[in-house]
Amino acid sequence: MANPTDALLRYRPWRGNLRGPLNGSWAMARVALRLMFRRKLFWALYGLAALIFFFFFYGQYLVVWIQLQTANQTVSLAGLQVRAGDLTRFLDRLALNGSAHTFGNFIWFEGYIGMIVLALAGAVLVGNDFHHGSLPFYLAKPIGRWHYVLGKCLGAAAFVNLLTTIPALVLFVQAGLLYDWKSYYLEHGREFLGILGYGAILTVTLSLLLVATAVWVRRTVPLVMVWAGVFVLCRMLASFLVDGQRLDERWRLIDLWNDLYLVGLWCLGAEWDSVRPVDQPQPWEAAVVIGLVCAACLLYLRRRIQAVEIVQ
Amino acid sequence: MSTSVRTNESVSATPPPIAKAPGWAVSGSPLTAHRSPLLLFEHVSKWYGPVLALNQVTLELTGGITGLVGANGAGKSTLIRLATGQTRPTVGRVTVGGIDAWDWRARLLVGYCPDHDAFYEDMSGREFVHTMARLCGYDRREARRRTEAVLDRVGMSDRADRKLRGYSKGMRQRVKLAQALLHDPDLLVLDEPLSGIDPVGRQEQLELFRSLAAQGKCLLISSHELEELEKLTNHVAVMARGRIAAVGTLQQIRDLMDDFPLSVRVDVDRPRDLARRLLDVPDVIGCDVGGEEGSVVVRATHPRRFYEAFGRLVVEEMIEVRRLEPLDDTAHAILGYLLGGSGKT
Repeated sequence: MANPTDALLRYRPWRGNLRGPLNGSWAMARVALRLMFRRKLFWALYGLAALIFFFFFYGQYLVVWIQLQTANQTVSLAGLQVRAGDLTRFLDRLALNGSAHTFGNFIWFEGYIGMIVLALAGAVLVGNDFHHGSLPFYLAKPIGRWHYVLGKCLGAAAFVNLLTTIPALVLFVQAGLLYDWKSYYLEHGREFLGILGYGAILTVTLSLLLVATAVWVRRTVPLVMVWAGVFVLCRMLASFLVDGQRLDERWRLIDLWNDLYLVGLWCLGAEWDSVRPVDQPQPWEAAVVIGLVCAACLLYLRRRIQAVEIVQ
Repeated sequence: MSTSVRTNESVSATPPPIAKAPGWAVSGSPLTAHRSPLLLFEHVSKWYGPVLALNQVTLELTGGITGLVGANGAGKSTLIRLATGQTRPTVGRVTVGGIDAWDWRARLLVGYCPDHDAFYEDMSGREFVHTMARLCGYDRREARRRTEAVLDRVGMSDRADRKLRGYSKGMRQRVKLAQALLHDPDLLVLDEPLSGIDPVGRQEQLELFRSLAAQGKCLLISSHELEELEKLTNHVAVMARGRIAAVGTLQQIRDLMDDFPLSVRVDVDRPRDLARRLLDVPDVIGCDVGGEEGSVVVRATHPRRFYEAFGRLVVEEMIEVRRLEPLDDTAHAILGYLLGGSGKT
């Protein structure tokens, strides 16, 4: 073999400082993100997420424009004279007015897209490391087991924030510019913190849940089924029990997505009476459920990490 | 190249006949005298549920190339996983350069080339190695420099931009080796590094291993390719049923196998005369004359003493030896004796 690079391969002494295992976690997160954005299968979902963002973005603008410019004017609709303000009533439910519900709803919708992508990508990001045996590549490098978990969680977390928190912050900035920005930013500090809080809760819960379930079931189809059970089936069941059977509203606590939404709205400082559907448990109760889910994931991961034997 | 391997099977159960060989301990070598062992197993046992995968193994490596051989299920993979901190011993202690192998700091000293080749198939070889370099803690520039250097070293520079999913088995082996070399580890643990590589590539890899050993690296190579392993090193650790059955050079191991006399074929003009004289040598227990024209197959109990006596005999009697061929001191034959089979691993 030709050895023109022998000089290189004698590894000129490294004079820098190695950045430590946390840097390795971040490297893993970058790889995870790259993998998620490379998959063409997910591009449709990203397009949908972008559509939701632009809907809110231009919706906020439209509502303000109608209120300021044409609220009292009438327009002709099928021969009838209708007030322009009435045409946008259907948007009221979405509260496109820079309020707590605006950001709560936005994160709810975007989070759902993120949740679907994570369910589909979980096996690629984490499950395959166990299923196909690529874990030794990571664990043979100077990083600890918790750094591995952290790296994977960071990847999922960055993705969730790219889809929810950051666009929500853009909407917040836009809302301020549409109104009197000084007073808006001053008076809506709670919403700003709420966006960060809701994003953080969503991030921590989804990333831990993703890594734990992907380590558990490893393959895409079972992973999607588990997530569908947690986020769709439980939601339907909770609705059936509370709205259909008129059972105690605490039964809604089995709907994890609703729990995240409730805690998010609490962070945003939304009025509790305005939360839909009605008959909701208290936010602290939802927070306890989320805490228990996260603790269960951590305990499971701890157990798996200690037993990462890579036994075929 | 300096190699020092010491083993000491201990306690309970029936000790394997070879592993206790006192002749193998090389504790006085310069390397052992000046630094702690690079890889040290101290009475290590590993249970997988009810299965005992590794049984009271004590092993010490300080440098050079050591082959790890044994049948499937002998415990090679478990030993490698313990050495690379993939798993924890149930009993005993594994250290790398004095650091517990389970600790991530120990892996600064270890490069591992696993036998699996499961990568992210969407990545190119270059991206994969670069990612591994970042995992080692190098900044972007240094990671890139090292990536290019190791890819060049394993002969993959020109093909590294292709997606991993399109790689042949041999190319995957090279990429795996490249990522193991990234951080200039003192200890390289290579699991089946030669499988799937074409003959030319094998020679290149063997050269690479030799040059790494010459640079003072310690290589532990698990392989079923015994012929290739013999070309690389004659220091082997033989594993059987979770124990180190023998460790040392092939010759040392063979010498200690008293139960299996050495068979040597000697081609001479007058085989019957030679056989008669050889039967007077104390270590010779039998001679077979015949078979092929002019050949004697000698069975001797102590190879070294036999060769000395045979040499004297040849000189004194002025015997013209056309051919002298040991029939059962190859790695295959030794393993066959040790493992009770054909030696095929």
